[in-house]
Amino acid sequence: MIGIIMNIRRFLIAAPAIITVILLLSYFWVPTYEDQTRGNPDRLKQYLTATIGDATILNPILSADSASSQIEGLVFEGLIDRNEDLSFRGRVAHSWRIYEHAYFFLREQAPTARWGQVDAGSLVARLKEAMTGPDWEHVKAIDLIASKTIPQNITLSEDGIEHTIAVQIQTPAQIRLTLDKVDQLLFEKLAPLLGKDYFADFNPADYVHAQSDIESSRLTALAGQVLSPTTHNPIIEFYLRPGVMFHDGQPVTAEDVQFTYQSIVNPKNLSPRIPDYEPVQSVEVVDPLTVRIIYKRLYSPALGTWAMGILPKHLLDAQALEAEARKRGQAPETFTMRQSTFSRHPIGSGPFKFGEWRSDQYIRLNRFDGYWEGPPNYQQYVMRIIPDPLTQEMEFYAGTIDDYSVLPHQVARLKQDERFQSFSGTAFGYSYIGYNSRRPPFDDPRVRRALGMAIDKHKIMEYVLYGQAEPITGPFVKQTDYYNHAIAPLPYDPEAAVDLLAEAGWVRGKDGFLQKEGRRLAFTLITNNGNPIRKAILAIAQDAWKKIGIQVETDLLEWSVFIQKRVNQLDFDAVVLAWSMGIEPDLFQIWHSSQSNPFQLNFVGFRNAEADDLILKIRREYDHPTQVAYSHRLHEIIADEQPYTFLFVNRWTALLDRRIVRQLTAADGSVVYKLIEPTKLGTYTFNFNQWIKLPQAPALAP
Amino acid sequence: MLSFLGRSVIQKTITLFFVSVVSFLIIHLAPGEPSQIDPLNPKFTPEIVERMRKEFHLDRPLHIQYLLFYRDLFTGKTVSWRDNLPVLGKIWDRFLNSLPLFIVGTLLTWTFSFPVGIRSAIQRDGPYDKSMTFLAYLLISIPGFFFAYILIILVVTELHVPVIGMESFGVTSESKIVQIMDRIWHLVLPSFLGATGGIAVLSRYVRSQMLEIIGQDYVRTARAKGLAPERVYYHHALRNALLPFVTMFGLILPGLIGGSVIIESIFSWPGMGRMAYEAILARDYPVILTLNFITAVLVLLGTLISDLLYMLVDPRIRL
Repeated sequence: MIGIIMNIRRFLIAAPAIITVILLLSYFWVPTYEDQTRGNPDRLKQYLTATIGDATILNPILSADSASSQIEGLVFEGLIDRNEDLSFRGRVAHSWRIYEHAYFFLREQAPTARWGQVDAGSLVARLKEAMTGPDWEHVKAIDLIASKTIPQNITLSEDGIEHTIAVQIQTPAQIRLTLDKVDQLLFEKLAPLLGKDYFADFNPADYVHAQSDIESSRLTALAGQVLSPTTHNPIIEFYLRPGVMFHDGQPVTAEDVQFTYQSIVNPKNLSPRIPDYEPVQSVEVVDPLTVRIIYKRLYSPALGTWAMGILPKHLLDAQALEAEARKRGQAPETFTMRQSTFSRHPIGSGPFKFGEWRSDQYIRLNRFDGYWEGPPNYQQYVMRIIPDPLTQEMEFYAGTIDDYSVLPHQVARLKQDERFQSFSGTAFGYSYIGYNSRRPPFDDPRVRRALGMAIDKHKIMEYVLYGQAEPITGPFVKQTDYYNHAIAPLPYDPEAAVDLLAEAGWVRGKDGFLQKEGRRLAFTLITNNGNPIRKAILAIAQDAWKKIGIQVETDLLEWSVFIQKRVNQLDFDAVVLAWSMGIEPDLFQIWHSSQSNPFQLNFVGFRNAEADDLILKIRREYDHPTQVAYSHRLHEIIADEQPYTFLFVNRWTALLDRRIVRQLTAADGSVVYKLIEPTKLGTYTFNFNQWIKLPQAPALAP
Repeated sequence: MLSFLGRSVIQKTITLFFVSVVSFLIIHLAPGEPSQIDPLNPKFTPEIVERMRKEFHLDRPLHIQYLLFYRDLFTGKTVSWRDNLPVLGKIWDRFLNSLPLFIVGTLLTWTFSFPVGIRSAIQRDGPYDKSMTFLAYLLISIPGFFFAYILIILVVTELHVPVIGMESFGVTSESKIVQIMDRIWHLVLPSFLGATGGIAVLSRYVRSQMLEIIGQDYVRTARAKGLAPERVYYHHALRNALLPFVTMFGLILPGLIGGSVIIESIFSWPGMGRMAYEAILARDYPVILTLNFITAVLVLLGTLISDLLYMLVDPRIRL
């Protein structure tokens, strides 16, 4: 009996001891960091990076998160991308040509301004004669297209009910101008020849005949939709590089480009990239290495959209998907690209081919030896998923990650560190305070300007962001030439702000608050919860405005409540928010007055006729210097109007092991090492394919 | 016995139904909607957002959505909205990853709590008891993440061995023993951290349970008989003190599917907690609701097992 009792006691003490010993014993077998790094010869041929969240779907037309696109950028390749100076360079396509077909309908009854009443044939001849000289150099051909009859079914949606109307379109003769560069002002330039109202007076309803009875007003509206007096059809022709291979050995052809486009616009795939390709009218395969893309209208951001990774048609077309569905025992009708295992084992034509994906652990890529530009120096690229920034940092110091994005408060310390090379740049986004200009007092630009002048933005940058930010004055990316550097940032000048408010009618009352017609200047500033920087801005702005006599309440709301109930419903006075931007200067969604309804992005209600015109012109302009000139003017207008108080743009800093360099092979076959240099945008990974890690930090001239 | 089982199963099924309705409602009434695209991204037009909603049946009335979801769940066809993977497969993978952590953590909790708690009870108010009380409250009040950071920094800078992930990254070792030991090593810190809170709380329970029993008349009688203190404590007192803990075994069950978000995130452990957390942030309803449903089933199953165990160990209870 005593024995059993002693055994119970012994067991109670022994059990935890044994478990602890087993657990701790394992320490003697664990590989150390030394084994992982210096003791591992393969380590120099691997590039390891870390991300906070896992990728979701490795298909460039379907994914919308940054981890997925980071991997897709290496596995897939687009027709073009941007080089160091932000101009486009060929990738899968070695070159391209942009030209235009412009059409207008002839009005045979209407007299032309210069030649009076002429018939179609002689008008073409006269135009050919007249359109010479420097103004018309880009016009390469003028053709007459005979009138034709097109039967068409048009689906109209009215009060939610859709009806189809059969119509007969009897198009008049058309003149087609072929231009070797896109000219958005072409038809304006034709006015002196044809007459000011030649196009405006064209009545589409004369040429559209409904098969069934329909009110004439509706027919007119309908005709306006199907027949436009003038049409711009910009065309991009891409010439593909011969010999570019997918990782499975199949060549990349024009068919694959066409297939990629078709997959994006196929509604079954629910691609988030559809808006980019909506202006495309058709994609034609001219020959296996030439693809022609015809656009419905002028859309200058179009070229940039072809940086989209090209999908292999032979693995994803309807036949391949059906075979996969049958193999996996699923219904082929509902089986789309989204369900395909391709998204977890992608095959592209980029410098790295897909290796292995362990969910929430890592994604491993191996180099593709058949890459057309020569294989990268690294054998492997591994993206580790490490959700915690502190453990990321520890792994970076230990050498099991090669880069680390420094947090603002660490920059001053880590930039000086001898062991690392550091890169800094300006981010692609800005923080701002937006004012609801539909509500007084924000309908007065003087008030908006005064509010901006009362806030010391430099203090915010210095104390809230540890100096890791810089001022910004407008909505363009600061590193691009669309940004107008001539515009001075709004000064911090509370006294001038008070004067400006007085000018707008707001004067200090007995209670110390600014008043106008007995009403106190009071409003609420809101932002979303969970962002400490915005919360700090809220407090700083409130304090700064209180000092000049404005009564400000602040409120923090949960993100989805903030967006859905307040911003989308336009139910706010002022908000603190941020935009991230792309390189393209297209501001339509955020700044055009047509986009200021509920659920649209111009929620501050910015409205300026000249700005509207410029926004559309920028969208239609294919000539870079002209686009830059338009953008500079637009930037000026926005800075004058101050619909936002532009606060700052963040700066980022990244660290890299000092032993990572660029390895190049010179013409005589010798190996040359160079330091990694960031591009104009601040991207340091631009030459990634040339990177390699050396056993020792090299002594290189910068 | 059988009638108890039958009644219990019927009751629990009804509870389960209400749980499924309530959790469905809560998730759908909470602000924010799932979307693979950000509505504030200028590139995305409202039409696409609307199409996405349609695809996820979010435009249908709630009760239809409820039926559609549970039809898919019971036919095993639910897929995650984030990556289109089958939800059950995803959960199973994560379950296998979280399982070792759970087992080791539970073993540590239960094996440590008893000796610590019993000794505290026997030496009540002595220096050992006092220091254990202090330690227990310390462990309960230190936030897990803080403790984890301190341990990680210590281990990484002093021992120079990796601690995050399920295994050392990038070292593909030849020998089986190294692989196994490597995996065990990676369990040490997270399971210890996961167990600290449990040990602190459970050892307190053990202590108070023992104290209660030690105060009972039959223990006093045993002592008065002149039995050795060892025999009194470990034979007469411990057996009876154990009763409530036996039933607690049933309640561990839901912990299988829980997993700790904080510990898993800090240690980059690809476990269940992290998946659930990310699903909530992304409003990935199928994953959230499936996990919720499985948890509810496990909780109900756990209480049933508790009831049965109680009956088994305590002859006074008849069901």
